Amino acid sequence: MLAGLIFLFAPQSLTNKFQFAFARIFSWPLSIGRSISLAARIQQPLNKEPSNNREAQYQNYIVNLEAQLKQERQKVEDLSGLRNRLPLQGAKLMLADVITASIDRLHSELTINRGGDDGLVKGQFVLADNSIIGSISDISSRTARVKLFTDPTSKIAVKIGKLNVERVMQGSSNDSAKIQLLQTEHKVKTGDVIYASKKGGFLDAPMIIGKVTQCKRDDQNPSVWDITVTPVCNVEKLTGVAVIIINPR
Amino acid sequence: MRWLRFAVLILLATILQASLFADLNIRPDLLSILLVFFAIYCNISEAIITSFTIGFAADLIGPAMGPQMLSYGLFGTALAYLHRVITIKRMPHQALAIFITVLLADAVAYFLAFLKGQPIAPNIHTALLGISLYSSLVGPFLFLPSAWWIRIKTNRVRRSLR
Repeated sequence: MLAGLIFLFAPQSLTNKFQFAFARIFSWPLSIGRSISLAARIQQPLNKEPSNNREAQYQNYIVNLEAQLKQERQKVEDLSGLRNRLPLQGAKLMLADVITASIDRLHSELTINRGGDDGLVKGQFVLADNSIIGSISDISSRTARVKLFTDPTSKIAVKIGKLNVERVMQGSSNDSAKIQLLQTEHKVKTGDVIYASKKGGFLDAPMIIGKVTQCKRDDQNPSVWDITVTPVCNVEKLTGVAVIIINPR
Repeated sequence: MRWLRFAVLILLATILQASLFADLNIRPDLLSILLVFFAIYCNISEAIITSFTIGFAADLIGPAMGPQMLSYGLFGTALAYLHRVITIKRMPHQALAIFITVLLADAVAYFLAFLKGQPIAPNIHTALLGISLYSSLVGPFLFLPSAWWIRIKTNRVRRSLR
């Protein structure tokens, strides 16, 4: 009982070490369990159309390039010829393996085998198939926890398609997220690309984060949209991710 | 009580919960099922120790350390004392005990996690109800293999031996 109280009131950064230590010590059986789970899912007939990972990666890459090009053009117009470095130039992508994935109605999190010793810090964005899937939420020396943008407690600033408006996207259950409080005067349609907004020190240029899969008027306030966004990569089948380190040491 | 076998069982359940069942949208809570199992089939002191240990294991794969250790410890102990006055031998009774214990223990754990500063998911009610229901349906069927592994004699085993 006393131990429980100590754990409860001890700082999160301290108590997290136990969780990361468990993930590190038992990374092998945890990975095997996850592989079996993934294999079982692959054998099941999927309702979704068969996704081609490579194709999705290329598509996401093209969308990201388009967003970067648009931003660069804007800069060129604004600065009229002043030289500037390309987005993500000099940034480092730290590849990491997924140790555990907890994706249910309450959590959407991954544990990866890279941590503070590898230059990771809280808040850094995480990529998979060239699209943003979440950000680092907790960190230890050799492991880190990634909160996916579909986690019900996750909030992330996003840009919607070709509109020049930013809104907060909040995770919801069932592997999706919601964008609310966008007036219906803005034209949004199913299939529109959603970009993660630039964030100083973490992301230099907007990058694809998902696509609009449903767009309807909000039931409670019909003057705003209720937009459902789903990831552009299959998060449940991920075995590896990349962390964006904008200013590597 | 065979503590080495208990440790292996809890470790296995924790790893399964964190890997094999981790991607399921609604999943049975193996550790909570074991919490009820040990609260029913062990004596009071063993039930208290196992409850806190299972809570610690649940915290290791949960969102924060502490909440489930306290919550599982308290509800496991309460169930063990309750079992002295109410018999929980039949499967429907065991299912009901699992449903109520998982629902209450997880609700209190999430409340304690909230006190610790952890954000709470907006759909927590439906998720908790789903997990409790799933656990109560699956749980009683896991009691017999667990009893065999720990070498605890349940009534059903005794009856079959006669």
